[in-house]
Amino acid sequence: MSGANGKKGPSSGVMDWIRSACRFATDRNDFRRNLLVNLGLFAAGVWVARNLSDFDLMSPQPVT
Amino acid sequence: MGSVLAASSPNPPPPAPGAAAAPGLTVPPGFGMPPVSPVIPPTGATSGQREEAENPLPNPGAFDECHRKCKEVFPMQMEGVRMVVNKGISNHFQVVGFVLCVLLSPDGSTVTLTNAAVQFFPVMVGDMDNSGSLNAQIIHQISSRIRSKVAFQTQQHKFVNWQGDAEFRGEDFTATVTLGNPDVLVGSGIVVTHYLQSITPALALGGELVYHRRPGEEGSVMSLVGRYTGNNYIATLTFGSAGAHASYYHKANDQLQLGVEFEASSRMQDTSVSFGYQLDVPKANLQFKGSVDSNWIVGATLEKKLLPLPLSLVLCSFLNHRKNKFQCGFGVTIG
Repeated sequence: MSGANGKKGPSSGVMDWIRSACRFATDRNDFRRNLLVNLGLFAAGVWVARNLSDFDLMSPQPVT
Repeated sequence: MGSVLAASSPNPPPPAPGAAAAPGLTVPPGFGMPPVSPVIPPTGATSGQREEAENPLPNPGAFDECHRKCKEVFPMQMEGVRMVVNKGISNHFQVVGFVLCVLLSPDGSTVTLTNAAVQFFPVMVGDMDNSGSLNAQIIHQISSRIRSKVAFQTQQHKFVNWQGDAEFRGEDFTATVTLGNPDVLVGSGIVVTHYLQSITPALALGGELVYHRRPGEEGSVMSLVGRYTGNNYIATLTFGSAGAHASYYHKANDQLQLGVEFEASSRMQDTSVSFGYQLDVPKANLQFKGSVDSNWIVGATLEKKLLPLPLSLVLCSFLNHRKNKFQCGFGVTIG
């Protein structure tokens, strides 16, 4: 059988890496994963606060 | 109402839960800490000192207030029905009474008595509920730069917390020492020291050291803090061995303020992010606060002044999607 000695092609290595990355990204009990996700959410929240909050509630309604 | 500042404040500052590092006493609801008198500049300054006085570094404020601006944007959770009555007795005394009912069973009523004439010291704030538990503070300004505070907390007849602190406000720094629950007989206690220094008019750096001791055990925790103040934003970061706390406050305009908070605890192995906003519509005497966080909790409070009556109406609701829990509250403030 080819590959009996465990020699994997580059595509299987990439697939393994993708599989472990997906497992890391979806493991809610992992502290590091939660830390990275929440840091990303914090950065996104800061971006929203700085860039999407420039509306004036007291401005007059546009005339249609 | 005379010079009672607390009674005239339409939006009393929420208690600060972030002060957990110090033995846990907070100002009773409806009151804030009185400000320290402004620094009196020395007379007879030389020309060199005059140059420094032209561009002085501002006092950075208290260490515990670094994250306060961001925390004030978030809604306060309240459950049940609450009625608060503010009554000024004289220029020196004010009474705040509130009745809190959770669901249909009365949880307690609390009467707060204070001589909250903020322009005069000492200030005494007391808070007692219907089970006899007392929460009291005495704040005194010893000099223009030094302010001291003594606080007690009891559960019925037993003293639970007692602490004293002294704060020194220099030209461009603030230093605080707090002694919590000292017990000479047992040999236990907690000492907390804070230091905050203005590096530039926008940047302040500081640190906190907590030392605790009891028979057979002692330890210390240190954390560092940095705060950057921009034109319309404040970014603060606190980190140490216990974890990290970052907050970003942004004032978009007079009606809209936003806050983003990140907390990580290395001891609890837990992190969370919260996003909150505050909408002020002064023409409608309305204030709305909303928040959403990474624990799938969505909350909001609505506060409306019912002018010309001296009444404020507060509606609050919090929904925890993960645990399928819903809490709502209704409150009326009179006076």
